[in-house]
Formats: sequence, structure tokens, C-alpha cells
Amino acid sequence: MAPPLHHDDIFELVREPIDPRPLIQHVRAPEDGAIVTFDGFVRNQSHNRATLYLDYEAYESMALAKMREIGAQLHEKYGIHRVAIVHRLGRLEIGETSVFIAVSAPHRAAAFDACRFAIDTLKRTVPIWKKEYFEDGAVWADGELPPAPVATRGAKPAS
Amino acid sequence: MPSVAQTVRVKVLFFGRLKDVVGQAAESLDLADASTIEQLFARYSARIPELAKYRSSVVASRNQEFASWDTRLHSGDEVAFLPPVSGG
Repeated sequence: MAPPLHHDDIFELVREPIDPRPLIQHVRAPEDGAIVTFDGFVRNQSHNRATLYLDYEAYESMALAKMREIGAQLHEKYGIHRVAIVHRLGRLEIGETSVFIAVSAPHRAAAFDACRFAIDTLKRTVPIWKKEYFEDGAVWADGELPPAPVATRGAKPAS
Repeated sequence: MPSVAQTVRVKVLFFGRLKDVVGQAAESLDLADASTIEQLFARYSARIPELAKYRSSVVASRNQEFASWDTRLHSGDEVAFLPPVSGG
């Protein structure tokens, strides 16, 4: 198997506020013509209940592996130039960025499509969870089920 | 034919609400070599009956890769039980 191409991408889990500017700067290059960014931040309510704050946790080693996988898919499917995906963990207040994605590409269509694919896939496959805190208690947010691998019947699961 | 399976040690991780239900995030556990993830989960469900009701909404991983419930476990494996993810 050929060694993976080196892409100068960024995949990080952080506990401090996310500053989008260096991430956008990082993916920007003279050969590009477009950058699309996604800024996901903490909403002040959930199912019409006022949210106080959120607490995010991750299965960090697997989450980073899955984020890298998403990056590889963006190169393969959309021919992007670079991607930066940063997710914050711990306690986040209303309005703070929980996830930031920046994608650069020669043309806008690939950048838009790839950025949309990245956040949609992250929300389905990256093992991160948020607990929502309200005035009267806290609940784990309803999440999405990652696609379950089918039974292997002696075969090694596809990797 | 060997009558007693070899015992191996695996690391088991629980996240999100499963961690709350089980009451701990991580544990090292001895089990028969080549036990399945299903059998491992059943062992916890026997100890913590409330856990069983989450079975249909849980996805498992082995060594940081999503794994089917019939995946067999060996020494040093890291298994995690993952509730529906809610990042972003």
C-alpha cells in the first residue's frame, strides 16, 4: 500500500477557547481560490429549555483518529487543499465555539461541499458527547448512532 | 481440546451516560480469550441491570475502531462502549 500523502492539515481537541483566525490562515495558500468555514457554537436553549452551559467529553484517541479519517476523505472525495478541524472539550458557555472547521480548495464548490461533509460526518462518527446543563438539572444530549459495523462471522472487520 | 480458555486482560471504557450508569469510566478486566464484545457487555449488564436497556443504542469499538458485537477480544485490547455521539 502506498504511504499516505502528506497533507498539512490540523486536527485538534482543545480545552481553551478556539481562535479561528490562525486556522483560516493555515489553510489559505496562493493556489487556492476559496475557503469555507463552519463555526459551531453553544446555543442558549435546547428543546425550548434555557441552557446554562454545556460540558463536552471525548474518547480522545479515537476522536482524533476519526477526525483524521474525515480529513483523508475530504482530500479523496473533493480534492481540497487543506483542512483544519478543531473541537473544544470541557465546559463551554453560551455563544462559545465548540467546533471550528476551515477548508481550502482551488474552487468554491469543493470547499462548500467538503466543509458540509466534514461537519455532518463529525456529528455522526466522532466519539464526542455533550451534557446540557439547565436550571433544573442536566442531561446527555440526544446523539446520533454511528453506522454499526455488520457482524463479522469470523472475518476481520473492515478497517 | 482445551477445556479451560486462557484468561486475558482487556481495558474497558465507558463514555457519556454509560459512564454514569456503570459508575466508572475505565476498568481493566480479565476474561476468557476470544470472548466477544457482546459477552463482555452482557457481563456488565448482569452486574448493572440498568445497562441492558441501552444495548440497542450502544456502539462498540475495539482499539479505537468501530467493531461489531461478535468481534473477539484478545490480550491488551481496548474496548469502548459508546452511546450515540453528540459532538459539534
